[in-house]
Amino acid sequence: MTTLGLDAGELSRCVQCGLCLSSCPTFRVTGDESQSPRGRIALMRAVERDGAPLSTPVRRAFETCVQCRACETACPSAVPFGHLIARTREVLADEGLSVSPPVRAGYAALGHPSLVRAAGRALAAGQRLRAVPRSVGLPRLPLRQGPLTPSGSDVHLFTGCVMDAFERDVHRDTMRVLAAAGFGAMPTGDRVPCCGALHAHAGLTRPARRLAQRAVSALGDGRPVLVDSAGCGAMMKEYGQLLGSDAARELAARVFDVSEWLAPRMAQLPEVRPLDLRVAVQDPCHLRHVQRVHQATRAVLAPFVRELVELDDDGLCCGAGGAYAFVERSEARAIRARKLASIARAVPDVVASANPGCAMHLASGGVRSVHPMTLVARALEEHATSRSARR
Amino acid sequence: MASRATRRARPQPAAPDPIVAALVGVLGRDRVRDDAAERSLLAHDASVFSGGAAGPVCFPTSTEEVQAVVRTAVAHGRAVVPRGAGTGLAGGAIPLGRPVVVVTTKMNRILDVDLDDRVAWVEPGVVNLDLTTYLRPLGYHFAPDPSSQQACTIGGNVANNSGGPHCLAYGVTGQHVLALDVVLPDGELVRLGGLDAEPPAYDLRGAFIGGEGTLGIATLIAVRITKNPLRVRTLLLAFDTIEDAATTVGSVIAAGIVPAAMEVMDRRITAAVESFVHAGYPLDAGAVLLVEVDGPEEGTAVDAERVVEIGRANGATTVRVAATEEERALLWKGRKTAFGAVAKIAPSYYLQDTVVPRSALPGVLQSVYEIAERHDLMVVNVFHAGDGNLHPLLLFDSREHGAIERVHAAGREIVEVSLAAGGVLSGEHGIGVEKRDYMPLQFSDVDLDHQNRLRRAFDPACRANPGKVLPSGHSCADIQALERVPAGLWG
Amino acid sequence: MADDALEAFATEVGARGPVAVEGARTRWSTGGELEPGARLLRAPEGIVEHRPEEMTVRVRAGTPVDELHCELAAFGQRTALPRRGGTVGGALAVGEDDVCALGRGRVRDALLQVRYVSAEGAVVTGGGPTVKNVTGYDLCRLFVGSLGTLGLIGEVILRTNPVPPVSRWLRADGTDPFAALDVLFRPSAVLFDGRATWVHLEGHAADVEAERRTLSAVPTAGGGWTECEDGPVLPPHRWSFRPSELRQLDGAVLGAYVASVGVGTVFASHSPPPRPQAPALRALAERVKHAFDPGGRLNPGRHVALLAP
Ligand SMILES: Cc1cc2nc3c(=O)[nH]c(=O)nc-3n(C[C@H](O)[C@H](O)[C@H](O)COP(=O)(O)OP(=O)(O)OC[C@H]3O[C@@H](n4cnc5c(N)ncnc54)[C@H](O)[C@@H]3O)c2cc1C
Ligand code: SF4
Ligand code: SF4
Repeated sequence: MTTLGLDAGELSRCVQCGLCLSSCPTFRVTGDESQSPRGRIALMRAVERDGAPLSTPVRRAFETCVQCRACETACPSAVPFGHLIARTREVLADEGLSVSPPVRAGYAALGHPSLVRAAGRALAAGQRLRAVPRSVGLPRLPLRQGPLTPSGSDVHLFTGCVMDAFERDVHRDTMRVLAAAGFGAMPTGDRVPCCGALHAHAGLTRPARRLAQRAVSALGDGRPVLVDSAGCGAMMKEYGQLLGSDAARELAARVFDVSEWLAPRMAQLPEVRPLDLRVAVQDPCHLRHVQRVHQATRAVLAPFVRELVELDDDGLCCGAGGAYAFVERSEARAIRARKLASIARAVPDVVASANPGCAMHLASGGVRSVHPMTLVARALEEHATSRSARR
Repeated sequence: MASRATRRARPQPAAPDPIVAALVGVLGRDRVRDDAAERSLLAHDASVFSGGAAGPVCFPTSTEEVQAVVRTAVAHGRAVVPRGAGTGLAGGAIPLGRPVVVVTTKMNRILDVDLDDRVAWVEPGVVNLDLTTYLRPLGYHFAPDPSSQQACTIGGNVANNSGGPHCLAYGVTGQHVLALDVVLPDGELVRLGGLDAEPPAYDLRGAFIGGEGTLGIATLIAVRITKNPLRVRTLLLAFDTIEDAATTVGSVIAAGIVPAAMEVMDRRITAAVESFVHAGYPLDAGAVLLVEVDGPEEGTAVDAERVVEIGRANGATTVRVAATEEERALLWKGRKTAFGAVAKIAPSYYLQDTVVPRSALPGVLQSVYEIAERHDLMVVNVFHAGDGNLHPLLLFDSREHGAIERVHAAGREIVEVSLAAGGVLSGEHGIGVEKRDYMPLQFSDVDLDHQNRLRRAFDPACRANPGKVLPSGHSCADIQALERVPAGLWG
Repeated sequence: MADDALEAFATEVGARGPVAVEGARTRWSTGGELEPGARLLRAPEGIVEHRPEEMTVRVRAGTPVDELHCELAAFGQRTALPRRGGTVGGALAVGEDDVCALGRGRVRDALLQVRYVSAEGAVVTGGGPTVKNVTGYDLCRLFVGSLGTLGLIGEVILRTNPVPPVSRWLRADGTDPFAALDVLFRPSAVLFDGRATWVHLEGHAADVEAERRTLSAVPTAGGGWTECEDGPVLPPHRWSFRPSELRQLDGAVLGAYVASVGVGTVFASHSPPPRPQAPALRALAERVKHAFDPGGRLNPGRHVALLAP
């Protein structure tokens, strides 16, 4: 009989009110109690207290959770759902009940920048040869990427694994924007290969801890660590919980989403002509529900674009969920369909998403989405070129 | 009395439930669930009660499928329990015996909105707030706004005749439903009501609303949509005592003002929600009164001013007017998440729902606090004061020996005090299993017999949600001896 | 609560033989002619208790509506019952709304508690005294418009509403009543007789004034909107339509008419035809009737499917 080793106090916080149901993406698309936060908690209790077996439906209920943690912000009794599901997934992974060996190997590779980059190049080549179907949901990958060079030493810019391999240009844009605000940034590059978020979500806690520990050791200089991937930022802000060490808590306290960092410093950015775009803001769940700093994206974007529009789905998850879009494809697509409909109703020129995973997932659904930093960088750049043209 | 904490997961039945194959034939394998753990989830709703075991769980997507499921149940001699989001607080959706559970959450389309007739046609599984969100760009909304509106379904609202803070001025669900397609317990389909001013026949639509799933399953609902108010003013008044707040409520009504909403929260609950929403509720006040007036510019200004005057005359210590839409939204969010927020105070709660004449509020509230104290329980009050609808929450820790018994005893006394003050058993949560045995406190045998006649006219064979609403001795009640169990009791 | 007047009424009704209640006979033929031979009774009269601070009034069914409204007006209150004469019980049994239903509310929403005498001669209570109540099945709704065929109404508790400080009737010729309804926020009535439109505005003085200004933007055939004392005189028969169907009313079928725009009721000089009921609905209605009045002794001859003949 499996026990999940969950905290009894945390489990009993849920009063079954159901207020979380509508913010849960999997409940939204299935209408199925077992695919809801309340249902998952009840199943955890059933396993934990009543010795219910980890039957396939029970296991699936836990696996299909996107770990968006929208249920946490919705929950008036502050059930720490993220913690409960992380622990549950860890047990499933330990028991070999989820995460197949090839997938496990993939996660292992994430800790090795050269492997990730090689894979990125291979995929890029495959795309050129049309060997990678578009429905896989990858952006058009660069064959070659120039290296990121430090622009100063005020802050670290965390560059990560997949994002660095696939979307290094976003980092470049972020650095431009930071520079315009007067901050020199040091890309973390191979010093910190991966934040460990994908591992943690899959329940692979040990490798996640190893990666977190590397970050803590590498970034011990007390400088702010800025992150332009919402998922990585959320993970790093929770290093304290993951590692339980003072050093980890110290690092976590100086991790900032790049918009969160910029929002109170907007006066330091030049005033420029806004881009002539109607931009819909897509809130990555880990920005909105874990870091809870999604308003900063709006504050940063607003001066640089003609118009910001809100989606009408109250921040419902897009279904990307780190590796979720690849591991639970049909669920991820069903969830995305709702998001796409909401975007269609907002009729934007472009969607801004502060998380590369969301951006990719949306892109493969046919939505043009860019990182907010890319938009700001472009506005700054257009301004600069038009000024030099006038001169 | 078995609590959920001691209930063991039921082993899979040795032989498969014979009806499952037939239901799969109707809905396909995907939309019929028979796994023990999955079924166990549906043994509960948001209430503290748990009943029998859910039989197979069905997810129909159309009226025809609901009919087919119901007919299959009839053929197998099984009862049927409809279920929406399971946010009910009286145990209306919990299975007694081993009924087929029909979940409406996959019937969640908004089919049509017609501004000429001011009507929206929706499937029963549409989430209440989703309809209002959908209508917002058109300048309309769906007026009933239960505090659970972000999760509960319109089918559930119809079945419970749900209210909400703004039902003070706008009326409860029953006033906003024009027509219903109902699959009767024998599988027959009827349309009750209609869009015309006075549809022919008895007002069976009105009779169906509030039937708590015992009269059939609503599969299509035409609801009236309401123009958004021109102006909304939200006031927060703080008082030293909850009695002062309650007196103010009575005086506002007596002065001929009908605000859109008047809600009271006592000190403890205010503190609990404040730590969740950070709306700036005053923490030092004995109670806060949230008043909203809406309508045209001038009228709302006059009414708001008079409310403030009346409040001050009754001892309001602070008056705050929400200056922005965000501030207003925060104040309401606090009110609407209040029940959940009490988990911060104690792990379990039992929520009562009675109505008393507004003028009796101060006295009854005092009795409520006394009753709780006598039973050594903590009570917090957060309620729809404008229509005298009390919601005392009795807080307890189920791990404590004898706590459940004390909660029950106190609950019953609150009911008795409310009835003695000229009130009724339930203002909006319904009877379900929770209060069916209290029904004789409010109604005579003859009264109950007549309610039973209505029920039997819809459901002669007692197949729809048996064991709910009417007490034993009246038909369809004696399905099994019921155990009434406050839970949330996982502690 | 024992009430001598009700008990006496119950005794009169007894348990045998066809009976009917006679009010003021203002809508006597609604739902068909009474079968001959039915004993005619009168429901008890009198206002039992008005609780202005609760906005409720307990009143016996035989009380004239006018008398009730007169009493309530002294406290600045009113009910949704129609101002067309007759008794409280009669108005509820017929279920007719006031012509200003948009402002005064619907009768079916106003009945909080009903006490009636059953076919067996027993006094039965449905609903409750409070303004909000979901205790048990809603017999109140069932009784509104039931033409006394399920039980004979003896006493009721009704919701009351405050009378707005200002009330104005406006009239215009050759205007689009639907446009008027559209631009106004919450008019109490928009009435249309095929040529002229009447609008009833109620509320605080400044709001009524503002609505009036809004209304002036709706074009008329010249002459604009002029104030008048009262709305139009209503023809006797009630037809029921969907609000949108009022756009295509046929005067040849209706005779002279006044349509309540936004509601769907049309008062016409011709009587409406019986309206068909789907077989399943008819069967259900018959089961309800049979459950409450197995012997068919209450108001025999009346059928709810028929509106005013
Ligand atoms: C935090 C919280 C706050 C709440 N606040 C309020 C409030 O302010 N006002 C209020 O009135 N209630 C409130 N409730 C109670 C509850 O949310 C309402 O009763 C709601 O209408 C139930 O809807 P549901 O979809 O969850 O229905 P369920 O709980 O799933 O079902 C409720 C009943 O309806 C029946 N039913 C469901 N769908 C159908 C259908 N299609 N046809 C026939 N019968 C059906 C079920 O059998 C059951 O008897 C609150 C609950 C919570 C947890
Ligand atoms: S984390 Fe997201 S997907 Fe998982 S239960 Fe919570 S809301 Fe649902
Ligand atoms: S909102 Fe919180 S307390 Fe309510 S059901 Fe969801 S997790 Fe449980």
